[in-house]
Amino acid sequence: MKNFFRKVAFGIGPNEKVPNDPLNWSLNQINQIPELSWKGKIYAEKELRKHYREWVHGDRKVLRKKYKDNKTLYKIKKDELRHKTGQKFWESLELTIRHNEAINGNNPVLTKFWLFWSNFFAISDKDFLANYSTGAYHREIIRPNLNKSFEKMVYDATVSWAMIHHLDNSESAGPKSITAHEDWRRRKKRPATINENHARELLELHTVSPEAGYTQEDIIQLAYIMTGWQQRWSKSKLETGNVWFNSEYHQPGKKIVLKKEYKKGKKSLKAVIKDLVNHPNCRDFVAMRLCRFLITDEPTQEMKDPIIKAFKDSDGFLPEIHKAALKVAFKYNDKFRKFQTPENWFIQVAKVSELDWPPSPKIMDSYELGFRPTRKQRLPEKMLNELGHHPYRAKQPNGWSDISTDWLSPELLIRRLVFAKESYAFSKSKNNNIEFYEKIINRNFDNPGKIMSYLNKTNSFYQKQTLLFNHPEFLKA
Amino acid sequence: MKIKINRRNFLKSSIVTSLYLAGFGLPSFANTVSKKNLVIIMLRGGMDGLCAIPIRGDKNFEKLRSKINLETTLQLNSDFDLHPALRTFKKLWDKNLGSVVHATSIPYTGRSHFDGQNLMESGGKVPYKIKTGWLGRGMNVAGLTGNGLALSLPMPLLIRGVPMNDNYYPVEGTMPSEEILDIIKNEFEIHSEKDLSMILDVIKKRKFQSYGSRRNSSLALNAGQQLSKIDGPRVAVFEVDGFDTHAAQGSANGAHADCLKEYDNIIEGLKSSLGTEFNNTLILTLTEFGRTIKQNSSNGTEHGYGSAILITGGLVKQSQVYTEWPGLKKKELFEGRDLNSTIDARSVYASAMSNVFGIDFERIRKEVFWGEKLQNLSDKLFKIS
Repeated sequence: MKNFFRKVAFGIGPNEKVPNDPLNWSLNQINQIPELSWKGKIYAEKELRKHYREWVHGDRKVLRKKYKDNKTLYKIKKDELRHKTGQKFWESLELTIRHNEAINGNNPVLTKFWLFWSNFFAISDKDFLANYSTGAYHREIIRPNLNKSFEKMVYDATVSWAMIHHLDNSESAGPKSITAHEDWRRRKKRPATINENHARELLELHTVSPEAGYTQEDIIQLAYIMTGWQQRWSKSKLETGNVWFNSEYHQPGKKIVLKKEYKKGKKSLKAVIKDLVNHPNCRDFVAMRLCRFLITDEPTQEMKDPIIKAFKDSDGFLPEIHKAALKVAFKYNDKFRKFQTPENWFIQVAKVSELDWPPSPKIMDSYELGFRPTRKQRLPEKMLNELGHHPYRAKQPNGWSDISTDWLSPELLIRRLVFAKESYAFSKSKNNNIEFYEKIINRNFDNPGKIMSYLNKTNSFYQKQTLLFNHPEFLKA
Repeated sequence: MKIKINRRNFLKSSIVTSLYLAGFGLPSFANTVSKKNLVIIMLRGGMDGLCAIPIRGDKNFEKLRSKINLETTLQLNSDFDLHPALRTFKKLWDKNLGSVVHATSIPYTGRSHFDGQNLMESGGKVPYKIKTGWLGRGMNVAGLTGNGLALSLPMPLLIRGVPMNDNYYPVEGTMPSEEILDIIKNEFEIHSEKDLSMILDVIKKRKFQSYGSRRNSSLALNAGQQLSKIDGPRVAVFEVDGFDTHAAQGSANGAHADCLKEYDNIIEGLKSSLGTEFNNTLILTLTEFGRTIKQNSSNGTEHGYGSAILITGGLVKQSQVYTEWPGLKKKELFEGRDLNSTIDARSVYASAMSNVFGIDFERIRKEVFWGEKLQNLSDKLFKIS
């Protein structure tokens, strides 16, 4: 039963009480979105985007031209610009805020869902999004929507600056739009065409999934609806302007997606998203993904049904969907144990064994713009890259897999072995005693005696650390 | 956390013996003097076959791609050019060690990356239905247990379906002691964690130290060294990401060119590290689909259908662009927008496995591809020994 605390959260810390009623403990955490528990500085997405702008503009429009004949000097100046814009720091700060919330926040179950939806609406590793924007997108777009409707979350994610950039929608122009007739297009031989990327992923990854049986024509029609949603471009801001609806790029006329008709204009995106999230395949897809995340690689209809019902009954209200998912996860808790993804596992290791992780506000706030961040300040980014599961750097827009077999390979297991061992370097000296291990095992395992005798096969504490966190019961939850 | 690597054991030379003692069937090469190797390089995101191997002198094609046409190309023959980033490929072509199958695809027309990639690896027709890869199943038929090496962090679906595969993707850090690994292994067994237990077995059998770059060019040097050993792996799998160029695809330089260059670096690394064993090796590419003929207004291309397979290695029959060219007129295109596919890409892979693994093509067709209608192209594409 105690694996439930890791299944839907990150385990029980050594100084926390084990809840008597695990299900209610989890259900009580998801109605409200508290302030982030991070006590250090938090920067607004727009402020970080300003740094993104300084970087792309400075590099593309200034340095490349100024130093086009001197590659060495260009490299030096580019490095200076990286540090002037904090390129090597923001990503680690965001990861720190994320891990701090999971480990030290009062609502770890809510945080678990935050991590889930951030991956569901993934921004994969493209351009400099991970460096400046993805963490802030998770914080400002995904997290505040955890107690709103799924429909709103889809809409907000779709028109967010990060997603519009990620999936190229700024580049999409209706072939019959006003811009299509502009002279410069003829002169530059750039006829207006749609870019299908965002529309395709809105259907496939963010709403109905291919199970809905949409056609290529549906994708084209949805892309027409989405034409005009773009970053406001200017010579000084380049692609970093706010997202707006540019009616000059919008394809006129009615559009038909999955047999439903939509009028032209800005409001059609909201209308089509409303229909997509109310499509039966969307409910099924969301239920399947939640069950796959929490319970098993192969969710059954019985597992999905209560989530689908909650979705339908509540009109997609996320707290109700989450509650249904938690109840199903609790029901199947003893029967199905899910292999934990590396980042989840790492956070659990840190929480359960009270590691000095993540870096403190003091460390992170001592960063000075313009200077190279310290090794400690860059550690979160480096650590997650080495672990092979950096949440801002998935390779493709479908994010990181939540299928167990995708996380099983010799190199992936080696990382668990190496990191469990190395995690000892982050342990507090006061915890280097057997009583501490007894305490964390009693809180997190149903069979503490067996786990302790397994652990007692070695006397060394750093080896106990390796053994405990590679125990099959800890690798799964 | 600064951590130094001191990992042991990678592809231990005694693997054949230990597998035999463990009751696994001996790989078929064990009694032969030399072995043949098969390398698959997965090009994720939809490789634009017409960017890698553009057709020559088609005015309509050039017009449709006015912004992404290649300013310079390397000429292959009177009908096809080669992208200038593929310099190693061209060198091999010039030595009769490189060829192309053009206008080919897996039988999937849905244009979704994720369904498409799943199918290119499983070899099936329904996404996510098959849990093993065509290469893993082929190795299983050939009894090639413990002979697969993935140069990536996850174990690609493509190679799943045969036990004891290894992968190599270096990490900083030190491994726990042998004694600790044994305790964990024992616990895996007590809990009937067969997969974890098998993986730990593979780890424990490793020999060489793990350090260095995770770049594909570096991984290729490593893989080539392993493949060149008589008791080394016989199959290797690489991944190149980033072919999904909806915007700023570029031409001779740019996003697609960078990806092609990365592929080219892999074959360059393999060529140099395989040494003479390059003569006994086949290296093929695999992608989920090609891209639209027409560029979009972001100077990119959209998801398409037909693409190309690039083949190199000493087992290539001859330099050729093997194709049943479907044409690029609107009516000849798939759904009026994509290069059509006239050759089921699985025929190429089934033929390659038949050739390298020394297994009858019909057996591969039946046991790996469920008896689907595939063509034996071995005598057309590969050297028959």
